[in-house]
Amino acid sequence: MMIRSLSADFLKIRRKGIWFLVFLAPLGLVAMQALNFGIRFDYMKKQYADDLWGGLIDNISLFVPIALYLGCTLIASLVANVEHQMSSWKQLLALPISRSAVFSAKFTLCFILLSMSCILLSLATIILGLVFGFGSSFPLTDTIKLGFFPYFAALPMLALQLWLSLSFRNQALPVSLGVTVALVSPFAGNLSEWFPLNWPVMGYASPDKAWFISAGLCLGFIIMLIGLVHFNRKDVD
Amino acid sequence: MSEIIIQTENLTKKYRGRAAVNNLNLQISQGDIYGFLGPNGAGKTTTIRMLLGLIQPTEGSIRIFGRELHKDKLEILRRIGSLVEYPSYYGHLSAIDNLEAIRRILGTQKSRIDEVLEIVSLSKEARRPVKGFSLGMKQRLGIAASLLGNPELLILDEPTNGLDPSGIQEIRELIKSLPGQHGITVLISSHLLGEIEQMANTVGIISEGEMVFQDTIQNLLLQSQHDMDLVVSEPESALWLARDLGFGATGTLRAGALTFPGMQDPEVALLVKRLVENGHEIYRIEQKKKSLEDIFMRVIGEGKTG
Repeated sequence: MMIRSLSADFLKIRRKGIWFLVFLAPLGLVAMQALNFGIRFDYMKKQYADDLWGGLIDNISLFVPIALYLGCTLIASLVANVEHQMSSWKQLLALPISRSAVFSAKFTLCFILLSMSCILLSLATIILGLVFGFGSSFPLTDTIKLGFFPYFAALPMLALQLWLSLSFRNQALPVSLGVTVALVSPFAGNLSEWFPLNWPVMGYASPDKAWFISAGLCLGFIIMLIGLVHFNRKDVD
Repeated sequence: MSEIIIQTENLTKKYRGRAAVNNLNLQISQGDIYGFLGPNGAGKTTTIRMLLGLIQPTEGSIRIFGRELHKDKLEILRRIGSLVEYPSYYGHLSAIDNLEAIRRILGTQKSRIDEVLEIVSLSKEARRPVKGFSLGMKQRLGIAASLLGNPELLILDEPTNGLDPSGIQEIRELIKSLPGQHGITVLISSHLLGEIEQMANTVGIISEGEMVFQDTIQNLLLQSQHDMDLVVSEPESALWLARDLGFGATGTLRAGALTFPGMQDPEVALLVKRLVENGHEIYRIEQKKKSLEDIFMRVIGEGKTG
């Protein structure tokens, strides 16, 4: 049943600018580094002479958490808004489908969309390195880690944003919260590394990254369950 | 006695202590077109949302197709098509894609989309984005969506709201044809009695959350009494004469005309005969029909005081 709802959701997000965002975010991040390296190529090449690929990946990784926070916020809000806009909830939820299936489908949809962004990020990173002539022995594992480790550690944010976006018809609250979190997140580095906003950074950079990724997956799952229970009970106006 | 499709017992929904729907006992039989009437804010939409499982009742039970709604919700919803208030649609998608999004969840045949578009005569416009549709077309698309799953019960909340007369008539004809052609039971809500009267065979009238009338439309119309107006040369003495005859007690004199509520044919004949015998000149005798709105208002009024 969840699969049916998901297939309907993929139809509904056509021409809503969601796919555009999915492509824009990772390509934008990489384009930023193309600029960074392109402008001062000789300097950067000297600085990272012993590990060109590593230098590129590290530079990109600085901006991945903030992009993830914004991505979770915007994707969740856009996905929820498809139903809010013309108050389609009453039509959708009067269909013979359980609310759990509807909610899980929305979460899965957001997860798939953001996963695509992350895959694109890995691919675009490799392509950029190749274009710069960093050698054909590119570190595939590292680029995949770059795409997915911070993402898994940021899943609590996705679950929270989706829950809020589905709950409030007015998207101002969830979007402001998400943007604020994204802007504040770089400054959370002073706090304990276990502060949740630091997990995406730690999930990539920390020697204990496995712990931060597991924490992200667990907390994300828990928040998703809370959202699911709430969605199951709430009255639909 | 045909099978009962919807039955609610003491259905109640309270918002912050205030009852939007109070002890509602709704009963709808198979093949009925049930008109659910009430002024705006009487609790019609709240009731319908409860019937569709969109909101939880505070108290009371709902049985549809003889099964408890809260236990077998999905099995029941599978047999229901619904349209709640203003139409829901995805404006950026075409009519076909809108229906496809619903069909994917229902899992019905793809060919059914063309069938329902044909039923609501939207086949020609099917590929245009719905945001460019007129309100009537959107409402018809909503009805098409409700028919998609071959429902046995159709629940339509104010389906003609905001439509122009030709749009109203189109939807009315469409709804009237459903029970005959497909054996569908229909629950249709409205705040306009005149509109319901032309479609429904049974009516329920709700006022301030409580059911104040539930019976066939014929029995509702029987409640209407007709006033008899007489215009005569000397109204005041004519009124005295009528009182002598024993049916002037409720008669009144208004603007030179005598008005007698609920007067039967023999009484009219007797009064006219006596008036003529006593030398009154009778200019006009008129029967004033009470409009349905009057009946409606009276039933609602009684509900409030009763």
